[in-house]
Amino acid sequence: MTGAAAKKLILRADHISGAFFVAAGLAVIALSGDLPMGQLAMPGAGFLPEIVAVLIIVLGASLFLRAHESPAFASIAWDDGPHAGKVILITAAAVALYVKLGFIVTMVLMMAALMIVIERKNIPRALLYSVAIAGGTYIVFVYVLRSPLPTGILGYW
Amino acid sequence: MEDTLLSLAHGFGIAFQPGNLWYAFLGCLVGTLVGVLPGIGPLSGISILLPVTFGLNATEAVIMLAGIYYGSQYGGSTTSILMRIPGEASSVMTCIDGNAMAKKGRAGAALCIAAVGSFIAGTFGIVMLTLIAPPLAAIALKFGPPEYTALLIMGLIFLAYMSSTSLVRTLLMACLGLMLGMIGIDNMTGHFRYSFDLAELGDGIGIVPVAVGLFGLGEILATPSHKVRGEVITPKYRELLPTRAEWRAAYWPIARGSVLGFIIGIIPGSAHIISSFLSYALERRISKNPEEFGKGAVAGVAGPESANNSASTGAFVPMLSLGIPTGPITAVLIGALMIHGVPAGPQLVTEHRDLFWGFVASMYVGNLMLLALNLPLVGVFVSVLRIPYGYLYPLIIMFCIVGVYEVNHSIVDVWIMLIMGVLGYALRKFDFDPAPLVLGLVIAPIFEQSLRQSLIMSNGNYLIFFSRPFSAALMAICIVLLGLSALAYFLKRKDWRAKLAAAEAGEPGT
Repeated sequence: MTGAAAKKLILRADHISGAFFVAAGLAVIALSGDLPMGQLAMPGAGFLPEIVAVLIIVLGASLFLRAHESPAFASIAWDDGPHAGKVILITAAAVALYVKLGFIVTMVLMMAALMIVIERKNIPRALLYSVAIAGGTYIVFVYVLRSPLPTGILGYW
Repeated sequence: MEDTLLSLAHGFGIAFQPGNLWYAFLGCLVGTLVGVLPGIGPLSGISILLPVTFGLNATEAVIMLAGIYYGSQYGGSTTSILMRIPGEASSVMTCIDGNAMAKKGRAGAALCIAAVGSFIAGTFGIVMLTLIAPPLAAIALKFGPPEYTALLIMGLIFLAYMSSTSLVRTLLMACLGLMLGMIGIDNMTGHFRYSFDLAELGDGIGIVPVAVGLFGLGEILATPSHKVRGEVITPKYRELLPTRAEWRAAYWPIARGSVLGFIIGIIPGSAHIISSFLSYALERRISKNPEEFGKGAVAGVAGPESANNSASTGAFVPMLSLGIPTGPITAVLIGALMIHGVPAGPQLVTEHRDLFWGFVASMYVGNLMLLALNLPLVGVFVSVLRIPYGYLYPLIIMFCIVGVYEVNHSIVDVWIMLIMGVLGYALRKFDFDPAPLVLGLVIAPIFEQSLRQSLIMSNGNYLIFFSRPFSAALMAICIVLLGLSALAYFLKRKDWRAKLAAAEAGEPGT
């Protein structure tokens, strides 16, 4: 295989992003099936979404075709991926429990989990910090700003 | 002119009310902290704190949120100079020479020059805002839907042209933002669009979950704590005053940065970021000793710091007088005004004079407060910088969740924030700037309505945008900008952005 041919076969960052945007544009068009386009003199609800979807497809295709100018996909540094993955999982769990458990319990658990599981901080210190910060924020929002926060299982307070 | 001065005097009467003074101070203080802390920028700071303003009246709210914005421009320099970490994006250039000055034992002088330059530039920006915004608003009152459509198209194309990434990437982000902005009930026909039977999506996707997700959570995901380490240089108070030679070296860069920053500020784009890059490049180009840049040149601190402050004030001109956001931060501020029932744009200047002039006057006061805050309290900000990032980011995530939830008390919004955080992380990996997405999201409803109204007015004739003088002029600017970008691409020639990027990378021949 010649060097030029090998260069062409490399999967590049813009191959992925270009393909993603083309697929996203096509998905929007597929989802717009029941929206009326209307006429130029009286544009309907689907008029601008479809124009924008077509623009996304054209721009995505242009990105894909010029992908040789972008870095190789394999060269993108994903060393922060494990950190990001753990933060996403812990935050998602907190969002799922937020209304059910309430602000204080959820936030104490979330902050403690982030500091203990990801940052390997001293457990008593992390717990103390989480309780102090969550408690302080609750007091500021509820009693100073008069903006209610979910009470959840501590609702009887 | 007389009317402007009288209105400004009236504005000072409002700005000096104790409540407004307090919120201006609070905004400046929080903004400085937001600017100082790495991993939280003015956009996420404003978005997260937006719910805190719900209990305030519109004047207090906008005074505080704007204080956070221009306060963050001041605060960003502290981290740049003392740690060589930009507290926020517009302080990137200050890192180079600011930190080099600090390493030579001139940290105090660098902080003082940055603060004084920021004050002069910020005040210059406000004077220009005072003079330009009211007449511009009077002109904007005569705009119809075709003019607004053309103005918004020009805004998007200008943003793409000024962006540090490519035109295609910026337009893709703006289109994605427009698409997200069209989710929910169509105002003109009542159709539900892309809401997947979720009642919460009927009102559309809010700007707060998107902005907090992309810029708050997204930044945290991309910043593992082991990467946020740096030595903090503690300045000594007796060294805060620059020498006479340092002042002399700072005069003209401050003046040039102020003018350049304001001009760039009123043009759509992430003005405060671009202006500091351009100011640095300009100062290095015209300097008699360009070899000093990177080794502690005073002009490398004075120019960019003045430019980013002047630009952040300049960005308020189109926001207040036309209702057009020039970047994601002004987009969030427009969203904040709308939440308080106040429309941004010419009506703000004519029908909400107390708010407009109170806000403008509070910016003069806020700039003075920032000057008074930043130098004496530098020790406090240095201690804030010593808080380990591992303790800081769980706190920021908590504020992201609370901030988004409190806007509508909707858990769907918080899920959207989380999805946007993941999207923001992925976009950074693939070298996309998420700022145009937020801008697209905010302008989507105005853009769609004005485009459709224009077509209805003209019975479906697209030439309406070229047949009215003002919209035709704006469309001509769009065509020129697109032509310039295409020319640079086809001739494989470096345009100003590529030259600037190469200059910053220190490539020869630029």
